[in-house]
Amino acid sequence: MNFSPLNIILIGIAGLLGVGFYGLLITRNLIKVVMMLQILIKAVVLALVFAGKISGNLGLGQSTAATVIVADTIVAVVGLALAVQVRRRFGTLDVPQISTLKG
Amino acid sequence: MAGNLILLIIGIPWLGALVVWVIGDQRAKAQHILAVIFSLLSGIASLILLAFVDSQPAVNFTLGSAFGNLTFVPDGLAVTLTVIATVIGSLAVLFSVDYMRGEAQLGRYYFMVLFFIGAMAGLVLSGNLLFTFFFWEITAFCSYGLISFYSDDPKAVAGGIKALIITQVGGVGLLAGTLIAYANLDSFQISDVLANASVIPAAALSFMAFSFIIAAAAKSAQFPFHTWLPDAMEAPTPISALIHAATMVNAGIYLLARFYPAFASVPGWRTAVIIVGVISALITAFMALTATDLKRALAYSTVSQLGYMVYAIGAGGVLASQFHLLSHAVFKALLFLTAGSVIHAVGTRDMRRMGALSAKMPFARNVFIIGALALMGLPILNGFWSKELILEVGLEHSPRWAYILMLIGAGLTAFYTFRMTWMVFFGTQREELHVHETGTAMKVSLALLSIGTFTTWSFFGGLNKLFSASLPFHAMEEESTLEMVKAISFAPATWIALLVIALGLILFFTLGRKVALTESPRWLNSLTESSFGFESVNHFVVNTVSKFSESLRVTQTGQLNWNILGIIGALFIVLAVLLWGGA
Repeated sequence: MNFSPLNIILIGIAGLLGVGFYGLLITRNLIKVVMMLQILIKAVVLALVFAGKISGNLGLGQSTAATVIVADTIVAVVGLALAVQVRRRFGTLDVPQISTLKG
Repeated sequence: MAGNLILLIIGIPWLGALVVWVIGDQRAKAQHILAVIFSLLSGIASLILLAFVDSQPAVNFTLGSAFGNLTFVPDGLAVTLTVIATVIGSLAVLFSVDYMRGEAQLGRYYFMVLFFIGAMAGLVLSGNLLFTFFFWEITAFCSYGLISFYSDDPKAVAGGIKALIITQVGGVGLLAGTLIAYANLDSFQISDVLANASVIPAAALSFMAFSFIIAAAAKSAQFPFHTWLPDAMEAPTPISALIHAATMVNAGIYLLARFYPAFASVPGWRTAVIIVGVISALITAFMALTATDLKRALAYSTVSQLGYMVYAIGAGGVLASQFHLLSHAVFKALLFLTAGSVIHAVGTRDMRRMGALSAKMPFARNVFIIGALALMGLPILNGFWSKELILEVGLEHSPRWAYILMLIGAGLTAFYTFRMTWMVFFGTQREELHVHETGTAMKVSLALLSIGTFTTWSFFGGLNKLFSASLPFHAMEEESTLEMVKAISFAPATWIALLVIALGLILFFTLGRKVALTESPRWLNSLTESSFGFESVNHFVVNTVSKFSESLRVTQTGQLNWNILGIIGALFIVLAVLLWGGA
């Protein structure tokens, strides 16, 4: 495997995805859940730019990435605000304890 | 002209439904009046439409490739059923003014009734099979909403859901047949299907034919789907009269009659239709023998009479079946509405608690007896002519065993009808009930319906003329009322049938009267209470489905990490498919 710039980016994307998913799998803290989601989204943003580069539509990839950045900021804000509300209402941020969706 | 009339017939009740709903339940009196006005207008429009019967579409909207053209065809079959739906609909609404007085949520009630009347007219007038399906589903929805109208009564809710689920089976059958027709002919037009039925490959055509039998049997509560109609009797009685006796349950008969020319040559189709009709007519006649609930007894007899119509179509008597449909709609609406006024007056549906009401409700007694005589098929009344016509067609064109079974059914009909009348109006008084006589609005609609019971048979010639003029694929001979009367009076089938009916009555008065009134034989009771075992089939299906979904609950853990694992797993599956499956 040669370490050309493109391959390094690809490894970066895979690494970020791996960290994000691993974190989501093991974490029980709501704020950490939001953080892990952010890491996942960063991997996606990187992947968008990367896809734009290799398909020759760099402008399209970059503008989509910019849009995703804006959208995911909103996700982060709303997620953290919800976490604050959850803490106030349930007195805990532990996800299994606040789970009410059990079938 | 005809096009505008059709749009009015469908549009007026739908507009009325919105208006009645919008003005609100605080103004109950205005709701009553408006509902009567809107339904009467629609009835008048459909009577005028009788003058514009034609085999060509009167309304034609182009909707693009996926839907084809939305057409409305005012041919004889469609207009007859439209008149039945709107006229009996307006009589049922008129009856509701007394029956539903003081009930809460009248807006919901009248909305559903008017929405139903418009949809029923659309269902029969539509020349586009896909829109027939849409209207078909609207009628099923209204039927469900009205059965469950008393939504705080668990029995009403259960009955409504049962009706909805079973009629959906029919809806699936209709949709499957429709899509097969479209796949083979590239058209949803009913006239195209009838004209080009021979183009459709034999296997596809017979699939279509049998899925239409399923559709018709589920909608018309025929064997093996007959179990929903008795439970639908939790609806307010005008609804039982309108939807579950006079109109919606006829949609299945309409479907079979409409497509008879296309399916008649499909091997086994006619025999299957005859079998469905015969079994439905017989087993529900037995169930009516033991029923103790007045409305359930009437519901069983409805299924039984619908069985006669299905049988007539199987034997090739499309006209006979529609003629009986007309008679049955009138006299069964009369019976149901009279039963409604009796139930309204005494406050119970249990026939064992009634008895000797004849002196207290003379008007109700008289009209009920008229309806009962028509149901039995005694001369002069409309039920006689149409039932004899069916039996005559059956004698000529159906297997002998089927004819004999239907004759036995006619005898049973006489027996259970007399039992019913006797238990309600005659015999000994079994319980002190506070009774009041029928209200005025009720009396008006009952009087009109009993006049109809005496006279609608004379429309036979006109009906026949409409049919033969506007149904090019059904190939009907013209016959006037007088010729029909002559033919029936001298046909051996008539005299055999009258003999059997008389036998049923003699049986009732000699050995059956005491037994039938108080308690029927235990073996018959247990058989009929379980609908000859079909109730347990229903329970089995319901239990299996709910057990299966219960066992799926464990997959919904509510654990975030578990759900993430599911997402990642799905991602890997997609990746694997892309990597190896795509190449």
